[in-house]
Amino acid sequence: MTTAGWAFLVVSWGAILSLTVFCLSKTLRKKS
Amino acid sequence: MAEPGKQPREAWGSKLGVILAVAGSAIGLGNFLRFPVKAAQNGGGAFMIPYFISFLLLGLPLMWVEWTIGRFGGGFERSTAPGIFETLWRKNRFIKYFGVIGIFGPSVIYVYYVYIESWLLGYSVFALTGKYAACTDQASMAGFLQAYQGLAQNQHFSSISTAYLFFLITFAVNIVILCVGLRGGIERVCKMGLLVLFAFAVMILIRVLTLGAPNPARPEWNVANGFGFLWNPQWAKLKEAKVWLAAAGQIFFTLSVGFGVILTYASYLRKRDDVALSGLTASTANEFAEVILGGSIVIPAAFAFFGTEGTMEIAKGGAFNLGFVTMPLVLQQVAFGQFFAFAWFFLLFIAGVTSSISLAMPAIVFLQDEFHLDRKTASVLFAVVTFNLCQVVIFFNGQGALDEMDFWGGTFCVVLFAMIEVVLFAWVFGMDKAWNELHSGSDIRIPRVYRFIIKYVTPVFLLLILGSWIVQEGWPTLLLHNIPPEKVPFVIGTRVLLLDLFAVVAFLVWLAWRKRQEKGEIT
Repeated sequence: MTTAGWAFLVVSWGAILSLTVFCLSKTLRKKS
Repeated sequence: MAEPGKQPREAWGSKLGVILAVAGSAIGLGNFLRFPVKAAQNGGGAFMIPYFISFLLLGLPLMWVEWTIGRFGGGFERSTAPGIFETLWRKNRFIKYFGVIGIFGPSVIYVYYVYIESWLLGYSVFALTGKYAACTDQASMAGFLQAYQGLAQNQHFSSISTAYLFFLITFAVNIVILCVGLRGGIERVCKMGLLVLFAFAVMILIRVLTLGAPNPARPEWNVANGFGFLWNPQWAKLKEAKVWLAAAGQIFFTLSVGFGVILTYASYLRKRDDVALSGLTASTANEFAEVILGGSIVIPAAFAFFGTEGTMEIAKGGAFNLGFVTMPLVLQQVAFGQFFAFAWFFLLFIAGVTSSISLAMPAIVFLQDEFHLDRKTASVLFAVVTFNLCQVVIFFNGQGALDEMDFWGGTFCVVLFAMIEVVLFAWVFGMDKAWNELHSGSDIRIPRVYRFIIKYVTPVFLLLILGSWIVQEGWPTLLLHNIPPEKVPFVIGTRVLLLDLFAVVAFLVWLAWRKRQEKGEIT
């Protein structure tokens, strides 16, 4: 795996994970 | 008080319940099989650039449009596209007939999807019982699948009877869930199902990540390089239009937008319930399942066992080949392989069930809303019609019936329906009203740039997809260019059947509106 490949993986996973955590935490907070 | 003969309207048990139901509808076989194949074929890491752009310009806007118009229509006790479209454009007498696509399309997809889903149940049982253990290469595993589908006879299966038995079980499971209803059936199954799905997917993911280099003679065949196969960017591919179209198509199909399903689910929300955050949450849950879980299982695992050239060949064979031929072979070679193979097929089966029940909903809810049938009667009526149509797919699978249904129901109708709903939302209903409706009860503020995106960019993007798809695939398929002569009668027969179904749904819409007119509900 090249450095560019790792960069794409890290950025993509990071973006999706942070958005998922943001949405879920906000949804669950509103629910409670 | 409810009017006589009319059933009380169902409702979701919780906000999280509806989000999980929409996520369950979106998370399907495509997340675990189609996405990794498309990414590997279209530039690896570079594919993620058009993929994320499509997510922001096409997927998310359409998701918000469907949630918003669904909740808006639900306020008038309309839960399916014909009624919802009419609430958006009251002056137009014909708009309800455009909504027929939102019932016809998902019903057609349901017919073949539920059969494919039954293969997954069958394979999860075969994994536990070791039925395909004697198949140790791609050719014999492909032969196993063909015999199971009734396309060949060999030592594994002499007829289609086993496949038919699993189809009956799968079909019954779907109908029972649908009969139970929104809160006790769909919501509960999606909550439990997604939990099991994510648990199994994480288990398999950990197993794949710990594979290392399973062949000591080929240390370069390892999981890290498997990720490289998927993620190393091939910049030159970004110049190819087909790569951008593949990314847009993947986003479109993975989010279940354009099916007429999300608007039906959203119609059971209350007027002040949020749709902006809910739509975003369902979309990101789908992306998590697709990019992080789906992207980390099949391709890295296949690479660790078959290397670059082998994986390229496998990816060319398509998503089904990857799921039903390659993955069982890979999992046979790992410790506790039987269990992991069971987990793999069962997670796909769950993903299939949570999607197929959503596909059945528009037709069932239409019968409930417009003809005041109770949930069980509507579900049984739907079951009788689709069960008969399923026989065409099962017994004429090798003759092109399944591909034909996928062409009309799963591709053409979906893109066309999305085009209609976004134009209705932004141009007919009006962007100012639409924007206020989207933000009514909202838990987040959507950036204002999305007003422009929903009004101009998304429709143009959809036109490009529709246009290029018609040129590349639609026109040759319509004119039967790629169909072998011996299959032509079966393909034409399937088309006639689909036309009949469309006509029946359109007639039911006409009948329902006539009844409403007679009652004085509409003028």
